Amino acid sequence: MRKLPILIGTLLAIAAPGFAAEDPIDTRQALMSSNGASAGVSGAILKGELDYNPVVGRAAIISMHAAAEAFGDYFPEGSGDDPRTEASPKIWTDMAGFMTELEEFRTKSAAAVEAAGKDGPADVEAFKAAMTPVLGMCKECHETYRVEK
Amino acid sequence: MRRPLIWLGAFCLVAAGVAYAATAPRALPQEVIASLPAGDATRGETWFWAGGCASCHAEKGAEGPDRLGLGGGRVLKTAYGDFTVPNISTDPRDGIGDWSAGDFANAMLRGVSPEGEHYYPAFPYTSFTRMRVEDIADLWAFWQTLPAVAGVAPGHDLAFPYNIRRGLGLWQLVFLSDAPAVALDGADAETTRGQYLAEGPGHCGECHTPRNFAGALDTSRWLAGAPAAEGDGKVPDITPGPGGIGDWSASDIAYFFESGFLPDYDSVGGSMVEVQENLAMLEPSDREALAAYLKAVPEHASAE
Repeated sequence: MRKLPILIGTLLAIAAPGFAAEDPIDTRQALMSSNGASAGVSGAILKGELDYNPVVGRAAIISMHAAAEAFGDYFPEGSGDDPRTEASPKIWTDMAGFMTELEEFRTKSAAAVEAAGKDGPADVEAFKAAMTPVLGMCKECHETYRVEK
Repeated sequence: MRRPLIWLGAFCLVAAGVAYAATAPRALPQEVIASLPAGDATRGETWFWAGGCASCHAEKGAEGPDRLGLGGGRVLKTAYGDFTVPNISTDPRDGIGDWSAGDFANAMLRGVSPEGEHYYPAFPYTSFTRMRVEDIADLWAFWQTLPAVAGVAPGHDLAFPYNIRRGLGLWQLVFLSDAPAVALDGADAETTRGQYLAEGPGHCGECHTPRNFAGALDTSRWLAGAPAAEGDGKVPDITPGPGGIGDWSASDIAYFFESGFLPDYDSVGGSMVEVQENLAMLEPSDREALAAYLKAVPEHASAE
């Protein structure tokens, strides 16, 4: 009987990705909100509204990269028709083009993670150099793959 | 029996004459053409970026110096049909390299080609017509620094009756006006500069203002948002009214033009991306002037 909780835990762990994938729209929108929050922190730093701290700079970079790694898994066929989504139908008519953009996002965020190292970019200039290419990807992808709104 | 026929014939002749006159191209007066100054390319570059020429005439996705190559070729799919963007590079054969400054001014301010044909208002001379003649001369001087791009784009593919180009003369007679779109009483110098940038070269209203039955801009709902010309998206209300951007500060607006980020750090998208990248090329004071103008325009409920 003592094994039951372990068994339940194991089953839950196996099922968890399944639950997440059941609503890909919620998941991808949460990931996009996270990107927006990272961009917000970055913008506040670059505008000088927030005093720079390497730990904060690194956190913004790392969370962008986490979203870049995960994002592409949440655009299954048929998930573009829901009224909640702002994803453009072009994602599904041009999946290869969309994936190319995502790969560019992932490559740039990975480079920023590399530049950040374990201590984070040392100063605002270093943070700006690392993060600017990543921030540029927001509009590059939204230009084509988000509905006009 | 013969007399009514004569009257009918006379009526037809008069009607044809009126139609001919009403649809005729109206080029700039000779004295205006003759008064065009030599122009200054450095000043002209400002109008180039404010005007967003590259957004339609450069190749899609072009970056950096490639945005100066105005070879055309994009197709704008609209309710009126497909407009193919022409080559307006300095190539003398395929572009407009053999034009005079006067030809350029007639195109920009009157929507008339060197051959005396009307341009479709997909080319936003409906806004450029508010520009000063000396600014057109500066822009033309900058044009001479741009590369020649070979290649002729195919013609437009429009539905009837829009495919009758001559009919645009009548449309221009009714709708082409260089009057300000909105009256801003007591505007300061910065706001006035912003108004000129936005309503003239910047042609913001061409996408952000709803159109009337004839496809002309409804200035009573200036910048109140509109259906996108292409596809089924929406172009947002950018007045300070409900549904607009009244909760953005002037510095939020200027930062958006510079960076592409909204105050909540959502990013610019769609066709505004290229517009924003053009605006990022302007002097900061011009982005601030545009922001001051957008804070000053009349409020409207969103027109969607």
